[in-house]
Amino acid sequence: MLRGERRTSGWQGASLVAITYVYFLIFAQFAFLKRLASLGVAGAHLTSVMAAMAVGGILLSLLAPRLSLWPSPNLRLRVGLSASCAAAFLSLLPLGLVASMAVSFLIGAGLGLLTVTLVTHLRQWTGNRFPLLLVGLGTGVGYLVCNLPPFFTASAEVQAATAGVLCLAGILVTLRPTRITPEDAEIPPQPAVSFLRVLACFTALVWLDSAAFFIIQNTPELKAGTWEGSAHLWANGLIHLAAALASAWFLRRRGLSFVLSVAFLALGFACLLLLDPGRALLASVFYPIGVSLYSVALIAYPALLGAATSTAERGRQAGWLYAIAGWSGSALGIGMGQNLGYVPPLFVLAAGAVILLPPLLKFLLQRKRELALTVAMLLAAFYLDRILLAVRISPPLSQVERGRRVYISEGCINCHSQFVRPNSPDVLMWGPAEPLQELRQEQPPLIGNRRQGPDLAEVGNRRSPLWLRAHFCDPSEVSGASIMPSYAFLFRDRRGDDLVAYLLSLKTAGAEQHQTAERLWYPSSSAVAQANANDGERLFRRHCATCHSAGGRTRLIWQTNFKRLPPDLAVGPFFYLPPSGPAAERIHRLAQIARFGVPGTDMPGHEYLSDNDIASISLWPPSPYGCRNRSGNRVKTHKYTTPKGDKP
Amino acid sequence: MSQSPRDSNISPGSSPQVVAAASHALFWLVFANSVGVMIAILLLFPALNRLLGEWTYGRWIIVHMNLELYGWTSLPMAGFLFKVYGADRGPLAQWCRPVLWVWSASLGVGAYSWLSGHSSGKLFLDWSGYARIFFPLAMIALWLLLAASFVYEWKNAANSTLAARGAKLLGLVLLLIVPIVMYIASSPGFYPAINPDTGGPTGASQLESSLIIVAILLMLPFGLTRRKAGHSRIIAIAWAIMAAEFLLCFALGRADISHHRPAQYLSLGSLLIWVPLTAAYYAAFEWHANTRRWRIAFLCWWSALVLTGWVLFLPGILDHFKFTDGLVGHSLLAMAGFTSSLLIFVLVQLLGEGGWIFNRTRSFYGWNIAVLAYVVLMSAAGWREGFDPTFTIVPGMARNAIYILRLVVGLVMLASSLDWLIDATTLLREPALVPTAQEVTA
Repeated sequence: MLRGERRTSGWQGASLVAITYVYFLIFAQFAFLKRLASLGVAGAHLTSVMAAMAVGGILLSLLAPRLSLWPSPNLRLRVGLSASCAAAFLSLLPLGLVASMAVSFLIGAGLGLLTVTLVTHLRQWTGNRFPLLLVGLGTGVGYLVCNLPPFFTASAEVQAATAGVLCLAGILVTLRPTRITPEDAEIPPQPAVSFLRVLACFTALVWLDSAAFFIIQNTPELKAGTWEGSAHLWANGLIHLAAALASAWFLRRRGLSFVLSVAFLALGFACLLLLDPGRALLASVFYPIGVSLYSVALIAYPALLGAATSTAERGRQAGWLYAIAGWSGSALGIGMGQNLGYVPPLFVLAAGAVILLPPLLKFLLQRKRELALTVAMLLAAFYLDRILLAVRISPPLSQVERGRRVYISEGCINCHSQFVRPNSPDVLMWGPAEPLQELRQEQPPLIGNRRQGPDLAEVGNRRSPLWLRAHFCDPSEVSGASIMPSYAFLFRDRRGDDLVAYLLSLKTAGAEQHQTAERLWYPSSSAVAQANANDGERLFRRHCATCHSAGGRTRLIWQTNFKRLPPDLAVGPFFYLPPSGPAAERIHRLAQIARFGVPGTDMPGHEYLSDNDIASISLWPPSPYGCRNRSGNRVKTHKYTTPKGDKP
Repeated sequence: MSQSPRDSNISPGSSPQVVAAASHALFWLVFANSVGVMIAILLLFPALNRLLGEWTYGRWIIVHMNLELYGWTSLPMAGFLFKVYGADRGPLAQWCRPVLWVWSASLGVGAYSWLSGHSSGKLFLDWSGYARIFFPLAMIALWLLLAASFVYEWKNAANSTLAARGAKLLGLVLLLIVPIVMYIASSPGFYPAINPDTGGPTGASQLESSLIIVAILLMLPFGLTRRKAGHSRIIAIAWAIMAAEFLLCFALGRADISHHRPAQYLSLGSLLIWVPLTAAYYAAFEWHANTRRWRIAFLCWWSALVLTGWVLFLPGILDHFKFTDGLVGHSLLAMAGFTSSLLIFVLVQLLGEGGWIFNRTRSFYGWNIAVLAYVVLMSAAGWREGFDPTFTIVPGMARNAIYILRLVVGLVMLASSLDWLIDATTLLREPALVPTAQEVTA
């Protein structure tokens, strides 16, 4: 080892990769555009300025390997970093159109020189011990830094200045002498993939990425669902880091084709999800995964995995890769984003054909026997199915039968039982019990084995059509804090009405006898003793206010559909309470209504609530009687019992 | 780990066909576990359901359960049958992978059909429409391969005894019935006996299904290894007891009878004999050294399953836990605890030296401790829920805390299964560890 030289630990390589990514992502792709907007550069002028960046990038990407002026890679890297640094600081000046184009050209040129030089001689800074891991780490950290909330949300000026300072730090990194130890090389041999194919794959990926980025950036709904909020940004950053490290691991274990394929699947799926702003949140998981996976490969391939036989060839390949895939692919993607505003599924399919088809064909050609047998069996099953369908006579289904099919299709059986256990608390709660002979007539009986929600064996006796419909559309609103998903989509066609009809059909004889049992029910004495109006108010707001307060959401949405508009319990009237008589009796009746509802109306029961909860609810309503204790004495008015700072 | 000459006789090594079966099984385990984790997240954050469109929670539950059952717990048995019928060696070995592909394709078709809303409404027999035909066809493809292998071995293997051939022939006949039974049992018109007090299975039907598991347990060692000398007595006793219990089961009949009837819970209690008997039975066979920890694990889970299964059926206890998370925990004990450890034990025995893929300390303890934690958590939730159904229906802090912990243990199980899958695919890409048929002949 020469004096002054030391074996590199690789941190310099990781740092340079991270700095390059931060500069490119937060400044060249982001802050500079914001800066141009603040300078009033827009429309055709903006296109010209961005074109200057692309020209600079393509030019220096192609020229970098041929530059004989600065033969030392360290020196060339410093020149690239210096140009990038200068461009970042120059962008802070009040630039006109021509000056903006010049700075833009400088950004592209600096990045072109920087990236191609970095990957051509990457082992000089990463060493040979863990080069792939260091590339993954550098890329992941670069993305993480860009997503740090204070940095991401900072002004364009702060971001530009930080990018410039980071370039200066990069120059300092290159000043530290290094020495490579060739005996440590550890990357296993990769299967041969032609350079042209790799170039096409990267171009497709950059194209998708740039289009998705531009569309998110310029669609407020999508931006809100993907990049806004500290927690979201942290999550994005950490996903980027994890995916980048995973990419390095997969590149070593599974090779380039695998990583590019997975990157496409994630990125393509994200692009499809972005078609619906309602799914932007899910897209914000897949987008960073796809981007980080291929971003690591974009450095690792030319630097470490490519089949280049000499440094010069590696440099040329890197140049073409960044000129065509990087700069041109990016421009094409942004153009698509600008013109269409979305990524058409056909375009995703085309990108998939470029990336997935060759390895898929290779895979399948190696497994002709597997493929042939699978296709043969699929076809055999298809024709057998057709024959059976032709032979079977299927009479038309009634609405209830169709609804039963919907119940089965949606897997309702996984959360709802249809079995009231005789001689158990089930009977009062969900009853009456259905005779086993009746149950056996169902094909198949839908007993279920788990209750995430109420038993539905007798739901037709307990709920009205309106309640069922409103509940399917927004369960958490109608049934306080219900974890059931919305099934509003069923009402886009007849499935929703069929399902409601089926549920209403779920009732057996004995309903009147059961209602008598309900009328005999009172909360247990211990529950009555523990009940209090404050709990009652909380429970009222959770379970009742949606219908029984003036601004209740369910009340407002369905107001014309109710058999009778539910009374606002702040003012009454109380239709189903005795108008006179002992207050305790009225409160007991209120408890029964809260527990079992009012048959024949839209008022549902809350059968699953405990006696204590029911007793508390019956205490709370600010009825014309005021709030009362269990003895029926007026104790406090509503405004006095409401906890401080917790008013409805 | 080097293979001792003794071990090499017990388990010849990793056949690529068995490794392929393990890989397919593990793929579906990882997939189904991922779905399970997603479901656990949805229970905590129901608002996320809107991201799924029409592929709602209820449809994913079906996917999760069926892929665990027909993917993870079935495909290792395909590997076992390859070995028993000699399909993993000789000229027919090249058809093992195509058969596995067809099986996996049928699961893929099934998953898509469940997500598209095609369901029979029968838990664990949820095949309908096109998938109801394709899956039995996949079973028939496996059967045809086994039958062809059987014929080939009959003609070419001179060292096979008549008893072994007879047993294999009987096995083939029974295996041919399975796809037919599967098709018929998936029909909505066919439903087993119902316990009129719970809506669940009767004691007799639980005894019947448990005895089928016992029969498989007793049969497995004969396809995997050889007996130790001087242990034939315990083997004979075990088979005799099983036969007696089947007679008891037939005597009980298939009527809709309550678990409060003493004949039901006492007869189910007869299964307790299998706690010591299974351990003694398995000790009567020679096993590869790599199987030790999974053999212990499966015997522990089996003991826990039999014991808790009986206790949970007792009057009063079943009434408390029915329809609660307590029984969800018990199902997991059966599937992730007992069945999974048994299958891994079988795979390790089949893979021999390649069994290292299941023996990493992190994944072994990660999986088993996570399953135990899951069972304990769900039992606690079920205990509370038995007193107060609101505990689950209206989520509160205690319920959410339990569900968060459940999510964490679900992630640990997913990580363990991923570890096995990654190692299995590594093994799959390695050159064959066993000599080819030609080499053996030579």
